Amino acid sequence: MTRVPSDRALQDDVIRALADAPYRASADWRRRGLADPDRLERYAHFLARHFYYERIVHFFKYSRALTRVTGRAPEAVLKSPAFDALLPTLVLGSRETAMSVAQLVTAHVAAGGAPVPYLADLLRYEEAMMVVEAGPRAWRDGTPTEGAGSRERYAPEKVEGTVLLDLAYDLPTVLPKLLQPWTELPQAPERRTKLLVARSPHGRVAVAKSDEGVVAVIELADGKRTLEELAAGTGLQVVELRQTLQGLVDLGAVRFSTGS
Amino acid sequence: MVGAFYNPHLGRELAAVTGIDHLAMADPPAASDPWWPAIRGRYTLLLHDYLGQLSEPLDERSIRRARTLAELYRSPWVAEHFQCLHTEDGSYNLNYVFPPLYTEEFLDRFVRNACALQARLDQPLVMENIPGFFDVKASQMPEPTWLHRFFDATGAGFLLDLPHVWLEAHYRDMAPERWLAEFPLEHVVELHVAGVEDDADLGGPWIAPAEPTDEMLGFAGHAVSRCPRAKAVTFDAFSPSLTAEVLLRSVERIRGAL
Repeated sequence: MTRVPSDRALQDDVIRALADAPYRASADWRRRGLADPDRLERYAHFLARHFYYERIVHFFKYSRALTRVTGRAPEAVLKSPAFDALLPTLVLGSRETAMSVAQLVTAHVAAGGAPVPYLADLLRYEEAMMVVEAGPRAWRDGTPTEGAGSRERYAPEKVEGTVLLDLAYDLPTVLPKLLQPWTELPQAPERRTKLLVARSPHGRVAVAKSDEGVVAVIELADGKRTLEELAAGTGLQVVELRQTLQGLVDLGAVRFSTGS
Repeated sequence: MVGAFYNPHLGRELAAVTGIDHLAMADPPAASDPWWPAIRGRYTLLLHDYLGQLSEPLDERSIRRARTLAELYRSPWVAEHFQCLHTEDGSYNLNYVFPPLYTEEFLDRFVRNACALQARLDQPLVMENIPGFFDVKASQMPEPTWLHRFFDATGAGFLLDLPHVWLEAHYRDMAPERWLAEFPLEHVVELHVAGVEDDADLGGPWIAPAEPTDEMLGFAGHAVSRCPRAKAVTFDAFSPSLTAEVLLRSVERIRGAL
């Protein structure tokens, strides 16, 4: 006996077909005959351009502010043959697609060869923001993401997708200035800077300056090491480690694995 | 009332102009927005944020957010959309308004969840129609029938988006007035009017942050005359590319057309 899918499941199928180009091309989807294939394809392309326009404008806003120096508006890639070539592979919201689109943008802006000393760092930073934001998200509260009771019983684990950036320039000092009116290009001090980029389960992307202790915790938090093992590995006191972990949990960079 | 959307990049102009009765708020004001105090002090503000999709019940956090924003804006009503744009498990998200299937199951879901939301709000709920570019063969009834039944069951108000109706009529090759007549106009509280422009992907017109054409304005005049409970008409454009000139001229032309 074939089980009839619920209407909600059918709606999910239509949403997936619009968001996921390989699925849209599959025999599984096509044989369902739920919608006119030409109309669906057109609408999916429209949605893809809209989806990544919003993200490029948001995550590459500093590069946009530099357009009069670089001569390259980041969102221009959406009308390029290179973006059109990606259309048959795009899965809206996936990390892989975010990476592909962000790389198109960084290549496009960098190719202008503008005399902005920190441009390479800036593009890495913006690309990381866009990629970290991607991935499934919790749209509603109510599903506990951690085990009940004390978190001490669980091992801290780096959240998938969290990124550590090691930059040659102190970008956080220049970013706000780029969004203000300026005539002379705002400069960033040449100073090694580590930034942690993470995302909450609801999709909020946060950035924090990072130090050696944070870097060590992120590198060692594998969901298996206990607090004590982590303290030993990072050289932090347990009290200090707890504070660091709390900050990282708030940021969305670390969660407590239930081991299940 | 004739108004527009609050576009923060036009805050300076909106804080100073006359001739706009209300502003719809699509996003909460940024903490750094210098024009927000003047805007809040001066205008009737309509909550038009994304609260959630009513195919599922709103969670407590979303309801608290809706209540907080409605209070901040002193909004006379709270707006949401007939949309279902992300999968239930959160894996896929279109990030753009997309209508539900017009079926009994979805009607039941929307009625139940809208009633639950209404019970938690201090203001009336109004719901906006969403255009479909293609029909999904799993739908069981025409959109207007589904909407009639929703409004009869919930007592919610109807936020009639006219360009959405116009576009659906265009892609069905129907006269927009004929398609409009099918909708439950007796429930309309607010109307949206906007421009449309050709989109290369769609191969035809779609919603754009542009001035409404004379045809759209004529359609708006026709629609308002058939909505006896309508209280507000809003120029529906919210985009960083929108200019103050387009916004102000559009509001003025809408007012002239009514």
